[in-house]
Order: sequence, then C-alpha cells, then structure tokens
Amino acid sequence: MRHNGAALTLTLDGEKVAFTRGETLYEVAERHGRDIPTLCYDPRLEPFGGCRLCVVELEGARNPVASCTMQADPGMVVRTRTASIEVQRRILMEMVASENRDADVDPMHGYASQEMAELLDRYDARTGRFAGATSGTSRPDDDNPFIKRDYENCISCYRCVRVCAEQEGDYAISVMNRGFHTQITTEFGGHLKDSACTFCGQCIQTCPTGALGDLKALANRDVPGETETTRTVCPYCGVGCSVDVMTRGEKIVGVLPAMDGPANEGALCVKGQFAFDFVHHPDRLATPFVRDDETGELRPASWDEALDFAADKLRKVVRDHGRRAVYGIASGRAPHEAAYMMQRFIRAGLGTNHIDNCSRA
Amino acid sequence: MSNPLADMDKPDVIFCIGTNMTECHPVAATRLKRALARGAKMIVADPRRIGLAEIADVHLPIRVGSDVSLLLAMAHVIAREGLMDQAFIDERTAHGEDFMQHVAQYTPEWASGISECDPEDIEKAALLYGGADRGAIYYTVGVTEHICGVDNVQSLCNLALMTGNLGREGTGVNPMRGQNNIQGAGDAGALPNNYPGFQTVTDPAHQAKFHRAYGRKVDLETGMTKVTALDLCGDGIHAMIIDGENTLVTDPDRHHCEHALKSLDCLVVIDIFMTETAKVADVVFPATAWAETDGVCTNTERRVQRLRAAVPPPGEAKPDWWILSQLARRMGWQGFDFGSAKEVFNELCALSPLYNGLDWDRIDRGEYQWPVPARDHPGTPRLHEERFENGRGIFKMLEYRDPEETLSDEYPMWLTTGRRLPQYHTRTQTGRSDGIDYLLSEETLEVHPDDIVRLGLEDGGYAELSNPRGCVYVKVHGTTKSPKGTVFASFAFEDVPVNVLTGGGYDPVTQTAALKACPVALKPVGPPPALSQTGPETGFAAL
Amino acid sequence: MPNPTDEALIARWKDEPAPLLPLLHAFHARDGYLSEPALRSVSKGLRIPLADLFGTVTFYHHFSREEGGAERPRVCNGPVCSMRGSDVLIASLRAAGHDPHAMPCPGRCDQPVPVIHGRTVLTGKTAGSLVTGPSPLPAPAPAGVEECVFAGIRDPGRAALAGYRAQGGYEALTGAVTGRTPDGVIGIVDRSGLAGRGGACFPTGRKWRAVAEADGTPRTIVCNADEGEPGCFKDRLLMDHDPHALIEGMAIAAYATGAERGFIYLRYEYPETLDILEGAIAEAAAAGLVGDGILGSGFSFDLMVRRGAGAYICGEETSLLNSLEGKHPFPRNRPPFPVTHGYENLPTVVNNVETLVSVPPILVHGAEWYRDLGLGDHAGTKVISLSGDVAQPGNYEVPIGLPLMELLNGWAGGAPPGRSFQAVTMAGLSGGFLAGTDLDVTLDEPSIRSKGSFLGAGGIMVFDDSRDMIRVTRESMEFFAEESCGKCFPCRIGCQRLVERLEGSGPRTVEAWVDEVSDLNDVMKKTSACGLGQAAPLLTESLIRYFPDRIRAHVGAPPGPAVSARPRKG
Repeated sequence: MRHNGAALTLTLDGEKVAFTRGETLYEVAERHGRDIPTLCYDPRLEPFGGCRLCVVELEGARNPVASCTMQADPGMVVRTRTASIEVQRRILMEMVASENRDADVDPMHGYASQEMAELLDRYDARTGRFAGATSGTSRPDDDNPFIKRDYENCISCYRCVRVCAEQEGDYAISVMNRGFHTQITTEFGGHLKDSACTFCGQCIQTCPTGALGDLKALANRDVPGETETTRTVCPYCGVGCSVDVMTRGEKIVGVLPAMDGPANEGALCVKGQFAFDFVHHPDRLATPFVRDDETGELRPASWDEALDFAADKLRKVVRDHGRRAVYGIASGRAPHEAAYMMQRFIRAGLGTNHIDNCSRA
Repeated sequence: MSNPLADMDKPDVIFCIGTNMTECHPVAATRLKRALARGAKMIVADPRRIGLAEIADVHLPIRVGSDVSLLLAMAHVIAREGLMDQAFIDERTAHGEDFMQHVAQYTPEWASGISECDPEDIEKAALLYGGADRGAIYYTVGVTEHICGVDNVQSLCNLALMTGNLGREGTGVNPMRGQNNIQGAGDAGALPNNYPGFQTVTDPAHQAKFHRAYGRKVDLETGMTKVTALDLCGDGIHAMIIDGENTLVTDPDRHHCEHALKSLDCLVVIDIFMTETAKVADVVFPATAWAETDGVCTNTERRVQRLRAAVPPPGEAKPDWWILSQLARRMGWQGFDFGSAKEVFNELCALSPLYNGLDWDRIDRGEYQWPVPARDHPGTPRLHEERFENGRGIFKMLEYRDPEETLSDEYPMWLTTGRRLPQYHTRTQTGRSDGIDYLLSEETLEVHPDDIVRLGLEDGGYAELSNPRGCVYVKVHGTTKSPKGTVFASFAFEDVPVNVLTGGGYDPVTQTAALKACPVALKPVGPPPALSQTGPETGFAAL
Repeated sequence: MPNPTDEALIARWKDEPAPLLPLLHAFHARDGYLSEPALRSVSKGLRIPLADLFGTVTFYHHFSREEGGAERPRVCNGPVCSMRGSDVLIASLRAAGHDPHAMPCPGRCDQPVPVIHGRTVLTGKTAGSLVTGPSPLPAPAPAGVEECVFAGIRDPGRAALAGYRAQGGYEALTGAVTGRTPDGVIGIVDRSGLAGRGGACFPTGRKWRAVAEADGTPRTIVCNADEGEPGCFKDRLLMDHDPHALIEGMAIAAYATGAERGFIYLRYEYPETLDILEGAIAEAAAAGLVGDGILGSGFSFDLMVRRGAGAYICGEETSLLNSLEGKHPFPRNRPPFPVTHGYENLPTVVNNVETLVSVPPILVHGAEWYRDLGLGDHAGTKVISLSGDVAQPGNYEVPIGLPLMELLNGWAGGAPPGRSFQAVTMAGLSGGFLAGTDLDVTLDEPSIRSKGSFLGAGGIMVFDDSRDMIRVTRESMEFFAEESCGKCFPCRIGCQRLVERLEGSGPRTVEAWVDEVSDLNDVMKKTSACGLGQAAPLLTESLIRYFPDRIRAHVGAPPGPAVSARPRKG
C-alpha cells in the first residue's frame, strides 16, 4: 500500500473525509450524507455515467465529472453542490421532462418509478422549456400480462437493459438505434415472450420513470386504502428471496423485491415477483371439511367438529393398531413451526419417530 | 449448501450436475451467470441441453443415472494428472491413497461406454475442475433422485476432497433445495432418524433430553421413511397426517400412492387448497397461506429468516402449528398449549444445538446462517472452514450401478422428469396466479427431432408414454434440448401425471425415489378427446 | 464459387482477434443484408446475446437489415456536399432507377459529391457523370516549406513496398529494432513534440511511455483510421498513397511499447483503402517487416485491419475499442484510460493515422528536425483538409502556427471569384465557426482555443458570403444529432433540441430562443460524457456570437437591439 495504512482522504465540500480505495466519488459523498441526484444509477449495477445529473466539480478538471464513475483519489478537492452544478442539474431535468409524455405515474408501476418525478420537483423543473419531439415508441401490442412497455415515458437510462444483463444474466433486451431515436428492444424488436426474457420483473423495479410498469400491481391501482408493505420471504424455491408484500386493507396488491434481502439483494424470478395472488383465490379453503359418514363426501364442518372428528379417528387407529400405526408428513413449504409441531405431535404424543417431510419426492 | 449464496459469483470453475438452476432456482443462477461474466468457466453435466448447458464451457450430456461413472472418471483424470491438493488430502481426509488406487481403473473411455459422454469432454471437464483454484459444485435432485443418489453425492464429495475444494470462499459441494422451507422441515426434526437439529434418535442422550422436554420417552429406534410408510398403508400404517403436500401427484407411482392413501383408516390433510390428496382425506383442515402466516423458514444456504403475515386468512383458516397443537389437545395430550408461532420457534431454538444462539427476535433481519450454537456466535456462512464436523473427510470407494430398471426392447426410451420456470410443483399456487399460464399453459413432452421421425411421432401431435405402471398421454414438442433416446416432461400439470410412470426403485440409504430415470415406450396416438377437461381421477391417469 | 455457409464463415473468424465486425461484413457481403438467420448464427457462433447483437447492428449506419440494402447507393449530404448539390444527385439517381439514401460525410470533400455503391466509391454531380478514382494528391508545397508526412507522397510507386523502400522506407524501423532500445525510441518521439494529430493533441511520447510501463499483456497498438469528422479527408490520402508509412509507424510504436498486436480500425466509407492496406500488410509480412520475428529479431507484431460500419462515434477512442471488441459502441467512462485499460482492458496505444505516419521521418531525421518544422514555439506540422468555398480545396501540410488567412489566400487561392469569406469551421464541424476578425488566428491550438474553438483533426470548411449560416448550422447539427450515440442525456436530448430550434420550432421570441439555446449549449459543453456532445454546441454558440442578425431573422422577431449570449450562469 502506497499509504502505509494511513487513511486515504479527500476534500468534500470543504470537509476532509476518509475513503477506501475503489470507492467512487458518488459513494463517498452518499456515505457522508450528500444527496446527489441521479437517474441512471442503481447501486447493484456497474456505474454507467449516462444521466450526468451526478456531476460534481473536481478541482483541476476542465469540466464537471460524473461522480458515479469517478474513483476517489487521495487529495481530490470535490464540490457536490455549487450554484453552477445545481443550475446544470436543473437544465438537465428540464431536458429530461421535455422528452417524455408524462412526468407523473402511479407508484404501483414499480419500486423506482417515482425517481424522475421527485427530481423534477426537487429542481423545480416542470417549466415546459425545451419543448419538442418526445422519444421512444410504446409497445401496447406486447400482450404479456406482467410488464407494461410504455417507452414514450422512457429516458434511455438503460437501467432495464443493464439489470437484465448484469443482475439477471438474461440479456433479453438491448438498445436499438442511436441518439434521440434510441429504443429499448428485444432481439428483432419482438414481444418479450418471444425473447430471452424470463419475466423476473427486475427491469420494472429499476425503471425510474414508469416507462416499465408492473401490470399485476397496476391492476390493483383502484383498490382503496393506503399501500403498506410487509417484509417476508418468497414462498417458492429454496433460495429464500426477501420480498416486501404490498397490501391495501386485506388485499395483497403486489410484490416488491427487497433490495436489502440477504439472499437475493433485490433479485426475484417470475414466480416470486408475480405469482402472489393464489393467496386470494376463491379455491382457498376457508373452513374445515370432514367426510360425511352417510354420503361418503367431504362436507364443511366447524373447527370443533373437525378436530373432534380427526381426534376420534386417530384415537381409534391407535386403539386398534397401536401408536406406531400413525404417520406424520410435514411440509417443506410451511414454516418451521408447522414441521416442528408435526414432529412434536408424533414424538411427544405417540412416542414414535414416524415422521418425515416431503424432501424424498 | 456448504457455502453461502454470496459465494456463487466467486468460483473460477463451476461444476453443475443434475441442476436445472435457471428454471428451478433462477435467482441463484443469476450469481453463476455473474461469475461467468467475470471469466469463470462452467461444466454442466445433464442429459438435457438445459439453459445452463447453453452457457457452459463443457456440456456433458450424460445418460440418465450414469453420474457415478462420469465422476469416477473425472477423479481418475485428476489423479492421473496430479491435480490433487495433497496438503488438504494429508491434513483433512482419510483413505486418500486407497481412493487414488481405486480410481486408476476408471478411465474416461470406460465412463464413456456407460455415460455416453465423449471421453475428451470428460477429460476436459476433469482438467478444468481439477485445475481450479476455487472449484464449486452445485447439484439438485437430478443427482439425488436415483437409486444411487447417495453414491452420486459421495462421488461429488470425493472430487471436492481430492482437490481441496471445501471450506473456502467460492468452493464447496452445494445442494440447491427446492422448496422454501424444505431445509427448515429437516432442521425442525421432521425426519424419522433425527430430532430437531439433526440429533439422532438412536442416541440415548438425545432420547433423555427430549424426554425431559416433552415429558414422554420416544422410541430409540429410527422411524420409517415416508416411502416405506406409503408402502405399508393398510398394513401397519393406518393413519396419516399430511401437511401441505400433494403426495398423490408429486410422489412416484401415482396409482400405488392413491391406493395406499385410500387404504388408510384415517387420513388428515392440512392444506390451503382442496388438492388431489385432500380430496381423498377423511378430514381437511384449512391452513393459513404464505403472507397470512407468521413463522420462520430456512433457505438453501442455512439462512434462518422470518415469514410475516401481511393479510388475514380467508374464513376460518388457521396456522398449521395451531391446528396440530389443537389436535394434540383433543387427543388429550399435555404440553401443547402454545399461544403463538414465536413460542413454538423459541422452544425449537432451545432444543436444537444448531439454533441455540437464535430466537424469534434475533432473526428479525435474517443475517444468521446456522449453526449458531450460542448467543455470541456470528453464525456460519461457510461450513468445514477449519475442520469437518466428524473429524476427517472420508473418501468412499464407489462403483457404478445400473438403474433398477434399464432399457429394453419393450421400453426403449428414457423418461426423465423435472420442473419448468414459470410453474411451481403441481401448480397449486402458480396455476392460481393470474398470468402465469400465459407463459406456460400446458405440458409437453420434449423429444429429439430424430426420435420424432424414428418413432413416427408428429411435432405438436400426441404420444402415449407407457410402462408397466401405467400410461400418460401428452403433446409432443420436438427439440434438441432432449438428447436422442431420452424424453422429458414436468409433473406440473394434472392432465399429464408423469408420476404415474415413475417409481422404478429407491436409493437404499435415503429411500429417495428414482424419479429421473424411467424406461418407457413411446408411440403416436390421435388427439385425445377433451384432454383439458379430464381430471386426474377420471382421466387418462386412471387408464 | 458457391456462397460460403454460415458455419464456414463463423469458422473463418471465430478464433481471430476482434471477430465480430469482419464476420458481420462477411454475412453482409454474402447476403446483401444482415438477415435474422444470419444474426442468429453469429450470436451462436460468437456467443453474443442475440438482443445485444441486434441492438449493436442497428447502431451502425451501413449495415442493412433489409434484403438488397447493401446495394443501395448512399449519397453524401454533409455540409459541403449539400452546398454542391447532393439533393440534385439523389434525384438524378432516383430518376435513373436507383433507390439512393443519404449518408453522413464519407471523407471526400475535395471532390464532387461522393456515392458509395457496394464496395465502390464514385464521385460526380449527376447519375450519368459518376466516376471512380484515387484520392487526389496534395498540391506541391509552397517554396521553402518543408513537409513531414507529405514529403514523399507525391512520388509514383510510393504505395508499393519497393517504391517505399526506394525512398528510405522502413529504415526507421530497421534502425529502431537493430540499434535503439524501446525507451530510446520513446525518447525521440517525446522530444520531437509530436502530439495526437487526431485532434486531442496528447503528447505521443507520453502516451507510449504510459503503455510501455503499464501492467498487463498483450499490449496493443490501435490505429484510429475512422476518419468520420465531416470535412476531414487527410487520413484517407495518407493511407491510399503511403500505406507502408502507417505500417512502419505502427511497427515502431509496437517495438517501443512492447505491443504484440495491432489493429487499423478503418472507416466503412474507405473500401478502396481497405484493399490497399491489406495488400500492403501482406507485402510487409512477406518481407518480414510485420509478423513473427521482425527483421530477424525477437520482436513480433501482428497487424490486422478491421472495417467499421458507419458510426461517427467510433472515432472516439473508447467507442472504437468497444466496437473492435464487438460491444455496443458507446464511449467508455474515463478514467481508466486506454493506456492502461484499452483493447480487452489491456494497455493500448490508440493513435491517429497522421500521428503514426509522422513517426518514421522523425526517427530518421531526429526530434529537433521535427520540432523545427513548426513556426515560432510550435513543434511540427499538421495536415489541414480544406474544403468548401475556396479556390483550391485539398489537403495541405502546414507548419503549425501558420496564419489561417495565409493558408486560405496564399496556399489555396482565396475565395471564389466575386466572393468573400464569411465563416470557416474548425476541427471539421466540431470546433464550430470562426468568422469576422477571428479569422486572423494562426493554425495552432493556443490561438484557436482563445477564440472558443479548436483545431482538432484539421478539417476546415469554408463558407463564402452567399451562404445561409442558419442552414449550414442546422445541417451540421443534424449530423451531430444523427451521430449522437444515445448514451448520455445532454448530448442525446440536446442535439435534438438544437436541431429543432434551428429548424424553426421552439420559442418564438429571440430572447427565449437564445435563452434556451444558450442553456443547452452550456449544459452540453459542461456535462456531456464525450467530445461529441461537448463539441456540437460550439456550432450554435458561434452562431450566436457571429450571426445575431441571422438569428433574429430566423426566429421571426422584429428588428431590435443586438442579441448577445447570456452571461454564463453560476
């Protein structure tokens, strides 16, 4: 080490701050409480340097530098919020607003969907200046039920393309054409279903404008009530992805990936992202059932009746065939408490080890 | 998994065998793809040209069930080329020398005759894995669901032991678990041989410990496995309580299962839907579902995380633990007075050495991976770092065994089964979530185009798959994803109940069923009438 | 001969360095366009994700995705050709049954309007008068002016190895390999004051030293021959008539830096040059001047040509590197710079053609000789591509520091009869305009930068007093808008908005118009990620500076007080 273990420091808005090698100016500044605006930045992705909102003044540099791509170096003198920088940020936001059809979208579009609108407010940039052609061609023809592709609200930050490549490794979407005619596209411009897309929904969640939207959540946009979120774990495979379940009243209205989920760090798959509404399916069992002695059919019963019915039958089996005639199978899809209680039932109740789970299937 | 998920983007060489990770564990697979983008190499052993195979450096299209031969030959090459980690072998393993002698006979040419892989590819794969600084193995049920499932896993362990690829970042032998709490079900003691925390039931000390805790002495003898229990239904087993499992559809040899469950005097099912299994029960209890239940689950990397209720359940549905404890009370048993999931979990923590350092509140943020033996313990992201739990890693002298059923003139094709990305298990949940069917609305049988021609099938037409256990009708999909002579279907759709056909043997140690290798006959048939309307009990499965 | 199969084409290129562009060209040539099956084959063969490949193909101007597209004539509509009637030529071609489309400047501004048809470039003013021909040679230098890169170029036979050697060619390489250390070579180049002649003016010796000292091998020499700047056509002249000088310069660079491989990234629009370079490399290889064990030494250097496909941004060195690597040709973020993280993220020299061609004479004649070619304190020479409203357009190698008006009047014959100079561009289009008293600059960076412009690659387009400067600016800005890569917001949106304002849409008062345009200029200059977006607003900035009356007329406001640019904000 060049610095023999001494802390590396730079000057941030006049204050001497420490950093570690490899940190970008943006990361150093954020760690020290600066709120630098960005639109193309997602902390999970390689810095891109496209939106230029994160520019800061660096002494000795001819022009402001993009803080997201510039690595911190000892002795740098950096100013994050000079009047001139703030003016440029405001002009950039006015330019961004000018290329889109809408500035405001329903938050149900996705995790990051309010980022642009919030910056427009912060920079008081809804001025209508720089009016002109809007960019991007929406794809209402794509009939997939999950991902809204409303590119007239696209600002070409490529977070969707980059999350698909860098985070998911699917490379389903890319950038077509160039300049103002840039368009997010699949191979040959077709529908997502005919591409390498796996419908993981990550593109939706990183989109800062709502050009991409979660159609399943948006279908619930009119459910009354405030949206609340509850942190839990996806019900499907064994990876254990953390999710934030969005609810309004007693209804699940959508799922957000938990960006700080220890197993998934914000990633999800099509099932975790979109296959949540089975919970409210009319097929759900809402009452116990017992098999009617007379008809031989299952019929609804009260808890009291069903518990007694089951206990009677089990007691009879134990009476007729002994305690080893009862077997318990626990679920790999229910929580620990279910499996634990099943084995406790068999062991503490019957004194046997006739208990297994479904992992042998 | 011996190593954490976070290690998956760190290996130099990745060896995936019997795991269709991009479809079954998509989020874990993203980490492997990141490793590849960083320059890692990947070997994929799988009969099918699965998604991982498409991005692999070496794809070994092994014949179903021939894993041991391949892995012995890889060990042979590694030994022959001197790519072992001798220091690791000396310090941390036993019988290394015997093993090197044992594998001397198993050349890639020999393995090629069994596994049908190109010997040069076997060589290449062995050199890659053997030459890695950080080599990691990932597998799923493609390895375990064979009569030699244990041998397969031990063969993988042999490879890791001889190359020292254990206990370090980016290494390990890593099974990917298929259900969100299948790891937890074992942790919690839902096993015939183990109390919670994998404490063996045959150890009198454990018996005494649980006697104290539960107030009842439990048999010292290991219980029977589910497979045995199903075999003995009506003949020793007369009652079953099944929680959240569609046994009838997911288990091998469906007709046998159905017969077994119907032979019981009492079948109690706890579930969220009226599954095929629930329909044959005497009592069905409605459980709360995901997002309605407070609880705990453990993922494939042994991370203990909280599940939280976000909405109330429908009607009178109740948490599984509540149902079982109420049933226990109705049975007249003492000690089942639990008031919350938290109380239940905290009792588990107190009784499990792996969880002793945990409780309900400590796992709030999910940062612990077991073992967490004490309060001041930080958890164990990586197993075997300093030492193996049982002292030394022991090389096993294994030999290849044929599957219980092999190809014959009558049943000349291999059927192998598995899962598909958009649908989960038997679609009880994904089939009831809007939009998923847009991605996959019916099951098809994947057949190599040459086999389609050879057997007179039609791409998009129907075929009859049969063996002595039954027959299934399914739509044919021509694809080079299937190798010649092997066909594939998932068990997701109830109108294509492929588990009618499976069930040709079990691993003698774990009694895991051989779901991945099943000889069948395949012939063209006309389109079945109203296929989609026929349910499992009245439709083709009943034939 | 039957057409090669997909498999054969892929097998031919798969294991070559930088295979994507040549493979795409092979399919493009075979099929006349890039079909969906072709792209699927390439995606599979080179393991490039299909969506990425598709997106990248659409980035390039000259890859056609429609059947027969490769054969459609492309006609230059750059600012100079537009003045000389590209519209007329397009109409004439259409009348003759062709299906022409416009293309940005293909680097022949010293000839009548160029047309690319397949692998042939023709020039002329109507469909019936199109002719092919070699690059025009430069006029003889005025008496007493000593040249560097043009010194031998007018000699017939110079392009062949024998002719080149007859004039002392490859003596510099021989001398370096047999008699100098790499560090010694770098020292001479350093002392000569040679600096990047592509326009960035980075000292060449310093760049080479950085590569020589950087960690990581193999190192690479890349010649930037993507001469895409409108109004620049000097590199084409050098490569067509003096290809061995470039090869020799690259071999010397490789020797000095320890590089083992080299690429000439040649713009699509120079198909004849491609043949010339490949022929010359084959000749040099046969003579042991490139390849393994050069001149019997232990020094080896493989040299390849890679043809671009029509994208101005690929002249930006990091876009060029991405393009070579088969990636989407967005510019990379810098730092790190190519000297440490270049081709395949390894140390790489990226030098312009003129820079590399200057090296052999410098080694032969010495650093002092080259330094002294410049006027005053300025070192060396610069080739200026002069076009537009001037009596003798063409390439001129001038001593750095020469007064602009001396070049225009003394060397190039002045304005057309009866006309006077209204404005000139600098750096092709990238330097914006100089006009009025600012035409008194000398041709060196300090002088030109003092006027808010820069010399750059040395393209100067001249506009006489008959030209509509709003139209010239609009057409020029359309070029930048067309070529903006789309990576960074200020350039992608800003170029479009400036075009719209030059077209006549936008604010209806002069104050508001100037306010918006000045804000766009300012934010583009300050925050754009690469030179394209930083340079494009120099056009509108200089328009506001020199032609306020024209803006007032353009916006349609009544006559009023003089318009001036708003003082800089912040």
